[in-house]
Amino acid sequence: MAKWGMVIDLEKCTGCQACTMACSMENGRLPGEHWQDVIFYNEGEYPSPQLKWFPRPCMHCENPSCVAVCPARATYKTEEGQVLVDWERCIGCKYCMIACPYGVRFYTEEKPRYGGPDMKSVFKSGDAHSWNPPWKGPAENWTRGVGTQPAGVVSKCTFCDHRISKAPKGTADLDPQNPATREFTPACVVTCAPGARMFGDLSNPNSEVSKAIGNKNGVRLLDHLGNKPQVYYLTGEGGSVPGNRVLPTKKA
Amino acid sequence: MKYKSEPQTLGELLAATITLAKDPSAAGRWFIGSMAVLVISFGFVMFQLITVGHASFNTSSDGVNWGLPIATYVFFALTSSGLTMIASLATVFGFKQFYPIAKRCIFLAIITLVAGFSVLALELGHPFRMLWVVPTGVQVMSPMFWMGVFYTIDLVLLIVKFYLMWKEDWDSPLSHLVGNAGFVAVILASGMLGLLFGSMVMRPMWFGSFTSIYYMLTAALSGAAAIVVTTYMAYDFDREKMPAQLKAFASGIELPRVFTTLIGITLVMMLARFWTGLWSNMDGLEGFAGLFRDPLFHVEMWVGLALPFFMLLSEKAARNKNAQIIAAFLVLGAMFINRLEFIVSGQTVPMFKGNWTNSLIAYSPSVTEWAMAVLGIAISLALYAFGEKVLDLSATPDHLESTEATAARAAT
Amino acid sequence: MSNPLNPTVSRRRFLQATGAAGAATAVGVGTGALPGFTAIEKVHAQPAAEKSGETVITKSFCHQCPARCGIDVYTTNGRVHSIFGTLDNPLSNGKLCPKGHLGTFLLYDPDRFKGPMKRTNPKKGRNEDPGFVPISWDEALQTVADRLNTLRDKGESHRFGLLFGRGWGAVDAGLLGTFGKLYGTPNSGLGHSSTCADGSKKAKLYTDGNYDYSSYDYAHCNNLLIFGAGFLEAFRPYNYNMQVWGQMRTKAAKTKVTVVDVHMSTTGAAADRLIMIKPGTDGAMALAMAHVILTEGLWDRKFVGDFKPVVQPKDPAAARLPSPTFETGKEIDPALFEGKWTHGLIEWWNAELKDRTPEWAEKITTVPAREIIATARELATVKPSIALFERGPTAHTNGVYNGMAIHSLNALTGSLWVEGGMLNQTTKTPWAKLSLKYEDYMDDYAKSDDRKKPKIDGVGTKYKMASAQIQRIGEYHLKGDPYKMDTLMFYLTAPIFSSPENNGWEKALQDIFVIDTTPYPSENAMFSDLILPDNTYLERLQIADTYSFQGYPMSMIRTPAVKPVHDTKTFGDTLIEIGKRIKGPTSEYYKQLGNTENIIKQMVAGFAENPGDNGVNDYESFKAKGVWFNKTVPYRQKDGVFYAWDKESKSHSIPIDAAKVKEKIFKTPTGKFEFKSGYMEQEKYAHYIHDKHGIAEDRVGFPQWIAPKYSGTGDLHFIASKLPIAAEGRAGNLAHAIAVAQPTQGGKRDVFVEINPETAAKKGIKDGDVVLIKSKTGSVKAPARIYAGVRPDTVFLPYFHGHWAQGRWAKAEERIQKNSVNEVIENVSDPISGLACYYSGMCSIEKA
Ligand SMILES: Nc1nc2c(c(=O)[nH]1)N[C@H]1C(S)=C(S)[C@@H](COP(=O)(O)OP(=O)(O)OC[C@H]3O[C@@H](n4cnc5c(=O)[nH]c(N)nc54)[C@H](O)[C@@H]3O)O[C@H]1N2
Ligand SMILES: Nc1nc2c(c(=O)[nH]1)N[C@H]1C(S)=C(S)[C@@H](COP(=O)(O)OP(=O)(O)OC[C@H]3O[C@@H](n4cnc5c(=O)[nH]c(N)nc54)[C@H](O)[C@@H]3O)O[C@H]1N2
Ligand code: SF4
Ligand code: SF4
Ligand code: SF4
Ligand code: SF4
Ligand code: SF4
Ligand SMILES: [Mo]
Repeated sequence: MAKWGMVIDLEKCTGCQACTMACSMENGRLPGEHWQDVIFYNEGEYPSPQLKWFPRPCMHCENPSCVAVCPARATYKTEEGQVLVDWERCIGCKYCMIACPYGVRFYTEEKPRYGGPDMKSVFKSGDAHSWNPPWKGPAENWTRGVGTQPAGVVSKCTFCDHRISKAPKGTADLDPQNPATREFTPACVVTCAPGARMFGDLSNPNSEVSKAIGNKNGVRLLDHLGNKPQVYYLTGEGGSVPGNRVLPTKKA
Repeated sequence: MKYKSEPQTLGELLAATITLAKDPSAAGRWFIGSMAVLVISFGFVMFQLITVGHASFNTSSDGVNWGLPIATYVFFALTSSGLTMIASLATVFGFKQFYPIAKRCIFLAIITLVAGFSVLALELGHPFRMLWVVPTGVQVMSPMFWMGVFYTIDLVLLIVKFYLMWKEDWDSPLSHLVGNAGFVAVILASGMLGLLFGSMVMRPMWFGSFTSIYYMLTAALSGAAAIVVTTYMAYDFDREKMPAQLKAFASGIELPRVFTTLIGITLVMMLARFWTGLWSNMDGLEGFAGLFRDPLFHVEMWVGLALPFFMLLSEKAARNKNAQIIAAFLVLGAMFINRLEFIVSGQTVPMFKGNWTNSLIAYSPSVTEWAMAVLGIAISLALYAFGEKVLDLSATPDHLESTEATAARAAT
Repeated sequence: MSNPLNPTVSRRRFLQATGAAGAATAVGVGTGALPGFTAIEKVHAQPAAEKSGETVITKSFCHQCPARCGIDVYTTNGRVHSIFGTLDNPLSNGKLCPKGHLGTFLLYDPDRFKGPMKRTNPKKGRNEDPGFVPISWDEALQTVADRLNTLRDKGESHRFGLLFGRGWGAVDAGLLGTFGKLYGTPNSGLGHSSTCADGSKKAKLYTDGNYDYSSYDYAHCNNLLIFGAGFLEAFRPYNYNMQVWGQMRTKAAKTKVTVVDVHMSTTGAAADRLIMIKPGTDGAMALAMAHVILTEGLWDRKFVGDFKPVVQPKDPAAARLPSPTFETGKEIDPALFEGKWTHGLIEWWNAELKDRTPEWAEKITTVPAREIIATARELATVKPSIALFERGPTAHTNGVYNGMAIHSLNALTGSLWVEGGMLNQTTKTPWAKLSLKYEDYMDDYAKSDDRKKPKIDGVGTKYKMASAQIQRIGEYHLKGDPYKMDTLMFYLTAPIFSSPENNGWEKALQDIFVIDTTPYPSENAMFSDLILPDNTYLERLQIADTYSFQGYPMSMIRTPAVKPVHDTKTFGDTLIEIGKRIKGPTSEYYKQLGNTENIIKQMVAGFAENPGDNGVNDYESFKAKGVWFNKTVPYRQKDGVFYAWDKESKSHSIPIDAAKVKEKIFKTPTGKFEFKSGYMEQEKYAHYIHDKHGIAEDRVGFPQWIAPKYSGTGDLHFIASKLPIAAEGRAGNLAHAIAVAQPTQGGKRDVFVEINPETAAKKGIKDGDVVLIKSKTGSVKAPARIYAGVRPDTVFLPYFHGHWAQGRWAKAEERIQKNSVNEVIENVSDPISGLACYYSGMCSIEKA
């Protein structure tokens, strides 16, 4: 059984958000519903201020607090190590959103934040779907939180379940540059121009992700909380993983 | 005893309801009034939910996930627990002088819990689905699961207990058993509700075992406040209209003492919570500072808790009817603010949103959310007025007089 | 018809939209069509798998910026659902920038025009509903033709102008020149390059003789110095820049990156060194760097040349003469120096450089002298190195000279044409020539001298050295100088939003008959009399070459992924259809031409004898692969010697002579890199530059410091440049883009104006306050973000929001910014390059 995981090299990451856009389009997300988000921080004084960033998908934690709190067992951990939401069980209590340390979960029914009409009302769906984006892909599986979701449930990054689940068993690396594995690779990994994102089997010590974590000292966000993410960051010289969540209040 | 006048059959119950609606008495007016509010607020909320859905809330994934509706639910759930605790003083711990309010407590505990659950149901994405997924899921790791379990047990026991009281069975072993079990259930339920927040290590403003204790004790406080308010309400805020024992009890010192003590404990706990919160630098506690800048919080703290506490310090004032009523109202209000403040402030520190949300999150409930709070209050008022008129909530065991003296000693 | 942006769908259109009436998109290829060519609707026909549920990948290339990345368009059941980079396209390499993915939305944008429309409300204005009513394509095309024919009859065909922006190639922008010649107007094909990036190209043209976006060998570069370019936000080819960024930052010798900018962008933040310079003063810094490189003897002697060996006195007793050096303030005798591949170094030193010390530059640029020295030493020692620049330093009144000074650094460090340096593309895609000669179809009217009218944009007359001047057209029309325009047609450009003082266009377009080809509502469309909506890029057939990014030729084809969703027509075919309706031989020419597909097929024939590296050798294989390329880079320089590519040894090993270098490498009068530009010294230009800049005619050729003239009014520099998610003015209605627009400042619904804490304090502005930014030309509102990453003398507001006539999301009520940032920027051009001075504007800010 594979244990899928991601490695993000902050030294390479340009903060371009192509991952966010690829995810939004591939998975039919609403604007602002960022299963994958790039988080920026700035502090420091002129002329040497700091601007740092890191991309943040769902961490697919080894000890997922979201799974533990879900009274409906709608959120669950698969054998391949993904954490998924069963939209046919979810009661929309949002406890998982409260319990996720990384803020990666989204509730469908919300006021649009981008300005202008709610996309859900522009692209109405005649059926149980919460909306119907004209560009929505063919993949849909509500019990695995894939596709356009019904109303009143919580959604999150699936590690592109509809892609990786088609990968031949035993695949160590889902390398987008390899035509044989490209189509099975998560959208955000496929598009990442500087190749800052890697995806593969953490349980395979010879996978590129395992090697990178080993050789380049991969670190995990908020490790002290014990969720043990399956998404690792390489900080090199370039990036850094911020330990804090909120900016120092601005002076004016 | 005038419980014989209580409707015995469904037909009688209906008839009673009709007469009540026409009844010019206080309860009658309360009933009609709150029913009207109930219907309007329910209509409005349903309209919003059907047309706009939960988008009519001001909650958001990037900000506050749980808003006023959850706070309202917690307020009612804990008030219900508190009421059961007060009742238990008589039914479990044998402080007989509390008997005059026992039945009313139990009844109120039932209806506040019902009100709480109703609001919660409207907040959920799929309330009906809950009915099958939670039992089939049995996620024993989830505090929310256990909260559900314990409150359900609590509700069942309350109903049984009330049925027995209604049947005049105050002392049978069964009645005692139900009472004791109910007390245990309510401790577990309120404690578990506290744990639901207390186990959230990623939300440091909630995290810690303290939260359970805090919830249990503040539950008792809101319960006490509720019973004082409602008891007076039942008699047009006029002691003279009360039956003998109740009047004696109301003008006695026991209830005010319990009440004042609970306010004191709450004040101490809040102080402790704020001390640690404001003092420590840990990331995630910034919300305390924000809370400190929130006027509503100070209304809760000073007007809603400190003021009543000092009002009731002297025995003379404590026995004074108006002092009791005002204090109780203030505390009840404070407890409502307290639930909102506790739940919202715990979420004002954004979860890894960086510059997207580069300061504490601002949240104020939407009209729909307020309407849901109003709905909850309307439900409990309507049911209460109903209960007050058709049922005899001041009923006490016949043998009460004989034991009054002993109980009094026990209390002081 | 009250809502101009959403014309009611006629039944015919409805059928169309639902794909039931494909034939309606047919372009008349009847009688005149060249034999054997299929009618266009066959191309528009769905992939076989229309409803089979299987996913079809169509090759195309992205439309959203000049990088032109090859894309795979995923379509299932006739629905486009995702776009990814094409793996075997040497530019996109399977990757995309954030914009690339949004093409699906651009296709299904609910605000798209549903078909051709005409205006019914003669009044034009921001709040005037054009009252568009749907019309048939036939009526639309005939209306244009009638208008043009009448003008021609009156001998006023020059009063028709066709403006274009993001041109792609032979079947769109490529058609405009010919159309102008046949019809008889000098104004067909007035480009937007003077609002784009002419500055950098001119600076290179004057020094190394190539009018070109260069190609940079980042993968082998060890030192990258970026002056005013959004390397990780905009600079082309954005997607590819990011790909090499990954390599540069992790390769064995990590490429050192220095960024010179006016605020901390993501590029600046990711760099090893960020230098925040005073706007418009880059030239001073570059000159001081040159000064350091020379005085410290760090220049590349093998490429630049060196002092001749000193002739020592015969008498051995006599003191030995020291070999000459560059000493601050001291002139040098040009005779002592021998230039290798450079010309005029000593003249330049004497005339300009000798006094350009770092200390001098510090006063002008506010950049500490030691920073300048450190950067200079590093550039000349950590090699190969590249000094690149784009709009930042060039969108100023002194833009060309800033650019020339910066580019000169590449010569001094010998980075030109070396591995790890920069070069220009010398080979072209072997497109076949069209059999059809337009000359044969020019009638006497078209040929008559009376047709040799000056262009409306003043290029060649008022602007002697510029290639375009689109930003002036409105102004000149209003003045009737040299004449008034009658009809303007727009293709992929909308200066009414994008050009400086854009609001001026609202007046100019009042009495002009305006035709726009935009598929989307826009400010320009609001002022139009006729809308001939183009297909969006996933619906159209089109070809293009890339710019010289990789140093070798690369050409792509857009194959429609789906039938047009609405009743729209590819611009190239629209123009051909108009041509068919022009009186005289012109119509015959266009009948022969047939349609864009015919043109493409003829051109592709050239691949037969020159197959691409990927085997593409005909139309079908071209459509299958989406790209043709030939990776050989013919020439390179090493240690001051230029070599040609040797097929046998597969290396650059055949030395070439000076003549070949002059022909292929340095197309300057001297065949060398000129620190003393012969081009600029030509009499016609020397006069002109003297007039405009007051520079002595014998000095005009030197890269030199002239102070920028700041325009507008106010105490703060106003900089409004690009965001990664912006596609010039075209991303405004993309809610997904809006929701991530300005991540550095948290711009989700609004974009924030960056204000330095010190400045904000002075003005009493708090974070989040709405501020009014104004200058004499106009004003714009935006929420404030207090940000230490911007200079205290500068405010930065991204060029993104402010569309008042794009789709429903662009126009969102809740958004604070309601108009274009360009209303604040005065319409001033660099007199030499003609580039609009976007970044020399001043403004004042106050709490709104
Ligand atoms: N994402 C995105 N990419 C694009 C485009 C787009 O619209 N969006 N458009 C494409 C087009 S058409 C073009 S022309 C290119 C343009 O590519 P660029 O020229 O790189 O882009 P700009 O945003 O115009 O300006 C770049 C930088 O110049 C800085 N700057 C402004 N004034 C000065 C100055 O006086 N000195 C210095 N040193 N810096 C200064 C700005 O802060 C900005 O960071 O981008 C292309 N790529
Ligand atoms: N302040 C500021 N201003 C700038 C810049 C800046 O950085 N800051 N950048 C400048 C630069 S570099 C440039 S290149 C210019 C670009 O400015 P323009 O040349 O005006 O290009 P766009 O703003 O992209 O406008 C393109 C027009 O084409 C329409 N359009 C979109 N898609 C299609 C299509 O598929 N077919 C057709 N026929 N039309 C279409 C759109 O509706 C829009 O009206 O802007 C310049 N303006
Ligand atoms: S796509 Fe890659 S480089 Fe761009 S933000 Fe995402 S992870 Fe970083
Ligand atoms: S990141 Fe959050 S949502 Fe994802 S698995 Fe971990 S706890 Fe669950
Ligand atoms: S919202 Fe859905 S997934 Fe989340 S905890 Fe509740 S039931 Fe589980
Ligand atoms: S793995 Fe797939 S779902 Fe998760 S962030 Fe990347 S693209 Fe989105
Ligand atoms: S860089 Fe981005 S916008 Fe430009 S062509 Fe490539 S994908 Fe499209
Ligand atoms: Mo441009």
